[in-house]
Amino acid sequence: MDDPKKQNWEIETPNNITIKGIIGLLMGNTECNDDRKVISLGIGDPTAYSCFHTAAVAQEAVMESLLSAKFNGYSPTAGLPQARKAIADYLSSELPYKLSWEDVYLTAGCTQAIEITESILAGPGANILLPRPGYPIYGLCAAFRHLEIRYFDLVPEKGWEVDLKAVEALVDHNTVAMVIINPGNPCGNVYKYQHLKKIAETAKRLGVVVIADEVYGHLAFGDSSFVPMGVFGSIAPVITLGSLSKRWLVPGWRLGWLVMNDPNGSLKSPKFIERLNKYCDICGGPATFIQAAVPTIIEQTHDVFFRKTINMLKQTSDICFEKIKEIHCISCPYKPEGSMAVMVKLNLSLLKDISDDIDFCFKMAKEESVIILPGLCCWPKKLAPNHFRC
Amino acid sequence: MGEKSTLWNFEGDEHLNKASACTIRSFLTTVKENLNQNDDRPVIPLGHGDPSGFPSFRTAQVAEDAVVDAVRSAKFNSYSSSLGILDARRAIAEYLSDDHPYDISPKDVFVTVGARQAIDVLITVLARPGANILLPRPGYPLYEARAVFSHLEIRHFDLLPEKAWEVDLNGLEALADDKTVAMVLINPGNPCGNVYTHEHLQKIAETAKKLGFLIISDEAYGYLAFGSNPFVPMARFGSIVPVFTIGSLSKRWMVPGWRLGWILMSDPNGILQKHKITECVKSYIDISSDPSTITQGALPQILKRTTKSFHSKTLNLLREAADTCHAILKEIPCITYPSRPQGSMFLMVKLNLPLLKDINDDIEFCIKLAREESVIVLPGAAVGLKNWLRITFAVELSYLEDGLERIKAFTLRHTKTE
Repeated sequence: MDDPKKQNWEIETPNNITIKGIIGLLMGNTECNDDRKVISLGIGDPTAYSCFHTAAVAQEAVMESLLSAKFNGYSPTAGLPQARKAIADYLSSELPYKLSWEDVYLTAGCTQAIEITESILAGPGANILLPRPGYPIYGLCAAFRHLEIRYFDLVPEKGWEVDLKAVEALVDHNTVAMVIINPGNPCGNVYKYQHLKKIAETAKRLGVVVIADEVYGHLAFGDSSFVPMGVFGSIAPVITLGSLSKRWLVPGWRLGWLVMNDPNGSLKSPKFIERLNKYCDICGGPATFIQAAVPTIIEQTHDVFFRKTINMLKQTSDICFEKIKEIHCISCPYKPEGSMAVMVKLNLSLLKDISDDIDFCFKMAKEESVIILPGLCCWPKKLAPNHFRC
Repeated sequence: MGEKSTLWNFEGDEHLNKASACTIRSFLTTVKENLNQNDDRPVIPLGHGDPSGFPSFRTAQVAEDAVVDAVRSAKFNSYSSSLGILDARRAIAEYLSDDHPYDISPKDVFVTVGARQAIDVLITVLARPGANILLPRPGYPLYEARAVFSHLEIRHFDLLPEKAWEVDLNGLEALADDKTVAMVLINPGNPCGNVYTHEHLQKIAETAKKLGFLIISDEAYGYLAFGSNPFVPMARFGSIVPVFTIGSLSKRWMVPGWRLGWILMSDPNGILQKHKITECVKSYIDISSDPSTITQGALPQILKRTTKSFHSKTLNLLREAADTCHAILKEIPCITYPSRPQGSMFLMVKLNLPLLKDINDDIEFCIKLAREESVIVLPGAAVGLKNWLRITFAVELSYLEDGLERIKAFTLRHTKTE
């Protein structure tokens, strides 16, 4: 029943390597007959393990707001004011200026914050600079928004710092923004104050916005403390992306934010803000009853809870790093200092019958029921091939 | 800024502004800005589509319990798979299968952040250079906003007020060409309150097939049919033409704030698969955000255990409200409405402007009504029909009566004296 009209429906799909997609394929490759439990070191979601449990106060706050029956309706555009204010206050405590509640936009997880940011900044002929290795959603979203992608490298030997010379070489008058991920996914880096300042100064000189993905904000357990990029908001405008997902261990709640750190108003002109609000209007955001719980969650979660998570992450990252040292064919260029992941390099010359990182990961899944992420997912058009993230 | 000013490269996309210029919210904001702060009377909101704030429209206890259980279990704090957790997809498939000639597979169900994201997904996936989409007029402006944003050309077909808002099929045929990718149908209807017959839906399916485009059936108000026409899901005609059905918990359970919707793909002939649409829908959902895992986790309980009596109670409330509207509106000379609502939460009424002094259009009517009577209704311009009004009747009954009486008083005051 081939209707010639329908022949024209060839849709081009982008090269869609999502982390979840690859994990799904790897899981499919595990041996059903292997009695051992599958160990997944592939995804940034520790909540399957009971030691990574959210704070009781957070759960109670959500239940209470649901049962009040006051938050079953639509929330206002950009989110409930009380939630926006709570996040503004929370973030302002580490900034040299105060954020207004209107600088905060609530999103359905950091994923939606990424989508909104790229949609708002995209325009005909625009390009965006993304870190490599990085988080694949940036590239996939950008492709859908017809935003040209240009990659700059992170330097493994220098704690995965941004190669600022490479950034300068890439920027042109159509470049709208550069993305940094700190604490880093997939690399586990925590950038120092000086480096972040240099990034801001470079961004200012080149006329680009800094998109600071701080979804792992405060999850720094090494020597470097976490410094929010918003600290440098008066040098270059920063859009900070964050969420409850990692620090509170609730990625399933889908409560994220997009924050304008722009005290000089370089970016947030009335027109820009109007557009941002209108786009949020057509998007829809997180569940209202979860938004309503945000003030309590932020204000009443004890430091004890945060320290417990940090201690666990430090312990597990130490174990990871030490064990990796014992394995000859893999090396870790830089010990992780934050987030929940680390990039390790494969020395393929020491391995027989393993051709690359993808082959390594698929065989690991099949033979050992261990899931790790091939570096290709985070390192597109790999120049330094054969890494994996775990 | 005293320092040497930097040349910034970023510039907002004008296009985006155009896309969302006319959302329902923006119209309501304009109307509400005219409320008289000195009026002690309560504001009567007959403009929006969210009854969750009213005690009569509280959601089912079992639904609240299900979400609380999901939170308390701590089993749903993790990321869900991007198409939705399997139990949720299965529960939706079973729920929709009740009314379906064969069992729906969970593989054909994708969970979304409310119906809004479902619209985003489908419009984005179908948009390509040169393509066009057929949208109903009057309709739901989010479709227009999304289509503009995705550079998908919009062509409007009319709904016929004198035929219970049925689709003008001749008009539809005249609009379609070989670049038409889809038509959108809203049933039960927002803003018109229509509930289409099986016969009419079948004709629409056959027309779509003949012209070579798929159907997006927006059933956000699915099952909210309280009149003589039963609700018929468009999925039943999936073997004639591919259908994407959009649904959600928001309206039938009165919880739009929970942000839980779905897309059902009905395509037993595999046409969507063949034309890579299915793949594209999944790809886009893969990179977009998901609804909270908690609500997904609660979904099986919500769908299976909500009682028939809860649903009948809702229908009775809506029926009574619609009847109340009819009783009062028919006494207002400058307002006419071609057909009584059969479903959803809205009705459209036409303004007979020549009978009114000093009111020139629907927007002015709504602004003055807000100012003088503290009643909010939506100007028809927001939904594509100028000089009509959309009235929401899913409101506490006492409020509704009060609001309608105030509208009556307002119109009397503004009627020309002969």
